[in-house]
Amino acid sequence: MIDFSSPRHRSKFGYLLLAPAVLLMALIIIYPILLSVDISMKDVRIARIGKAEPWTLKNYAWLFGSEEFWNAIWVTAKMVLMVGGTALVIGLATAILVNQRFKGRSLARLFVALPWAVPEVVATVIWAWMLDSSFGVINWALLKSGIISEGIQFASNATASFYSVCFVMIWKGYPLVSIMLLAGLQSIPQEQYQAAEVDGAGVWQRFFYITIPNLMPVIGVTMVITTLWVFRDFAIIHVLTQGGPIGATTTLSILTFEQSFSFFRMGQGAAVGVVTMIICAVISRALVSRFANSVH
Amino acid sequence: MATIEFNQIQKSYGGVQAIRDFNLTVDDGDFCVFVGPSGCGKSTALKMLAGLEPTSGGEIAIGGRDVTDLGPGKRDIAMVFQNYALYPHMSVRSNIGFGLKMHGLPKAEIDRKVAEVADILELSDYLDRKPRALSGGQRQRVALGRAIVREPSAFLMDEPLSNLDAKLRVQTRAEIVKLQKRLGVTTIYVTHDQVEALTMATKIVVMRKGVIQQIGSPETLFDTPANLFVAGFIGSPGMNFFRGPVEKEGDVAFTRFAGARIKLAVPAGQLPFDNAIFGIRPEHIRIGGEGAEIGLTLVESLGTEKILHFQTPEGQEFNDADTAADHDDERDASSMLARVIDDVRYADGQAIRVHLPEDKIHVFNPDTHTALRAASGQVNT
Repeated sequence: MIDFSSPRHRSKFGYLLLAPAVLLMALIIIYPILLSVDISMKDVRIARIGKAEPWTLKNYAWLFGSEEFWNAIWVTAKMVLMVGGTALVIGLATAILVNQRFKGRSLARLFVALPWAVPEVVATVIWAWMLDSSFGVINWALLKSGIISEGIQFASNATASFYSVCFVMIWKGYPLVSIMLLAGLQSIPQEQYQAAEVDGAGVWQRFFYITIPNLMPVIGVTMVITTLWVFRDFAIIHVLTQGGPIGATTTLSILTFEQSFSFFRMGQGAAVGVVTMIICAVISRALVSRFANSVH
Repeated sequence: MATIEFNQIQKSYGGVQAIRDFNLTVDDGDFCVFVGPSGCGKSTALKMLAGLEPTSGGEIAIGGRDVTDLGPGKRDIAMVFQNYALYPHMSVRSNIGFGLKMHGLPKAEIDRKVAEVADILELSDYLDRKPRALSGGQRQRVALGRAIVREPSAFLMDEPLSNLDAKLRVQTRAEIVKLQKRLGVTTIYVTHDQVEALTMATKIVVMRKGVIQQIGSPETLFDTPANLFVAGFIGSPGMNFFRGPVEKEGDVAFTRFAGARIKLAVPAGQLPFDNAIFGIRPEHIRIGGEGAEIGLTLVESLGTEKILHFQTPEGQEFNDADTAADHDDERDASSMLARVIDDVRYADGQAIRVHLPEDKIHVFNPDTHTALRAASGQVNT
C-alpha cells in the first residue's frame, strides 16, 4: 500500500484524483476532435466509423478553392466585429449604469440580464416572428412611426437579414458582457477613483485612465468568449435565415452544417470545422495573452 | 502653502451625526494630526476637507478661499491614502506624473518634475517599474511622490503608515516629518496611533465620537489634558486613574491613596465634591519614601527601564468607557503601572512604597470628566 501522504508520493495522489476528469475530457472532447480531423482527410459523403478510407487532402483543396468558404470567413469576420464591438459598448454602458447607486437597481440588473436567461431558440423564434416581413411587429412599428415607407424584407434582403441576425445576437449576447464587466467594475478599489479625483481627473479622464485599464483583463476574457460564441452560434442564424439569402448570413458553423447535413459531404463539412477550430484557437490565444499582459 | 479653516462643520448620515461643530484653524506650515479611536470621525473630517465627502453644514476654507462646494481637483490639495491607491497599470513615473498630466502640463516639464521628486524620495531606479514590483515602503514613497510633485497648498494623509511593518513605520515617520519641514507645506495627518501623533505633530486634534476633545501641541495634550478621555488616550503606557475622597482643610484639599494622605494642587474651593477621579502618569510615580504601601503583581524589565504593575487600592478602582483606551490595553482597570528607571531589582509580590507628587496629579470632575486645575493654570508644569 502506498502512503499518499508521504512527500514522495503526494503528487501521485493528485494525478489519481485528476484521472477520471482527464479520461472524460479525452472521451468527449479530444476523441471527437481527432475523429473530425480524420474525417476531414477522407473523401467521404456519409462518415462511417471503422471503415478504412485512404487519407487525402481533397477536402482542403476544395475548401481553399471554393467561394463559399471565403464568403463564410468574410461573413463570420463581419459578424464577430459587429456583434463583439456593439455588445461590448452596450455591455459596458449597462454595467456602468447598474453599478451606480439608485432606487430599483436590483430590478435594473435583472432586466439587463434577462435576454441572457431566455433559452436561445425560444428567443430567436420570438424575434423571427417580430422580424417577419409581412406581419412582424418591427415592420409595423417602423411603418407606423414613419421611419420607413415600405416594409423591410428581412428574409430576402441580404443587408437586412445580416443586420437582423447581428441584432438578435447582440440582444442575446450583451448581458453576459455586462455581467462580467459589472463584476470587474466592482473590483476596482474606490480609492483609485478618489486619488484620481484629488489629482484633478474629470469624469472622462477617470473613465479612460482608471476604469478602462482596470477592466482590460475582463474585457479580454469577455471578448474571447463573445468571439467564440459568434463563431460557433448556430441556433440564431439557423432559425432566422438558415444562412440565406444567397449566403449573406452563412457563417463557418452554418457552412459546416450545410456541407455535412444538407449536402451530406461530411468530409468537406469536417474540413470547415477543423479550420474553424484552428482559427478560434489562434484568436483566443492572441486575445487572452494580449489583454492579460496589459495589467498583470 | 496655506492656512486651513473648518468653520462649524457638520456631517450626518441619515439621522446619525458623525461630526458635530467641528471648528479648527490650522496655520500655514503646520503639521496637524487628527487622532482618535476608530469611528471617531477623523477620516470623515479629512475626506470632507479633500472634497471626497460632502459636508452637511458649515464652511471649509483653504488659504482663505472657501472650497466647501469645490471638487477635489480644484482645491489644490494632494492626498496620500492608507492603501496608497496607486494606479496598478501605470509605471511609477506615470503614477507620480498623473496629477500634473491632468492639470495639462507639458510632457517635458512633467518629466523634469517627476525626476526631481524621484530623486528626493530615492525612487529614481524604479521609475519604469509597475507598483506591484515594489516593496511596501517603496509604494508608500511613490504615494508621497504623487502628492509632493504637484506642489499643492496642503497635504492630506489618511493613515499612510498603517500598512507598513513596525520598523519601517518608525523610519518613514521620521522621513515624512523631515520632508514636511523641508517643503513647509501645511499637512493634515490622520492616525489612530497616539505615538505617531505625539512624535509628528505640531498641533494635535483629539477626536471622539465626532466631537473635538482638545486641540493643542503634543506637550499641552500630554501635560494638561482637557478631560479624562484625552488623559487616557495620550501617552504610553496610558495614565493611571483611581477614585479618591476629597478632604478639605481650609483652602487646601487632600485625597487618600491606599491610606496615605496626598495634598492636591487644586484649591479646595474648586472641589465641591466628596470624591473625585484622579490620574497620574506611570512615569511620574516615585518609588520609596513616605508613600503608600503597595504590592507588586508583575515586573516587566526592559533593561534599565522597568514597568511595575500593582493593584489599584481596594475601593479606589475607576472603570469607565472614557478611559478604555483601545491603543495599549496592557492592563485591566484594577491595576496601575509605574515606570521607573533605576538600578533596583524588583520582584513579583514585593511590597514597596509609592509616592504620588502633588504637582503631577490630575484631578477630574467625577460627573463631567473634565480636568480641574489650579486657578493659575500652572498646575502641571
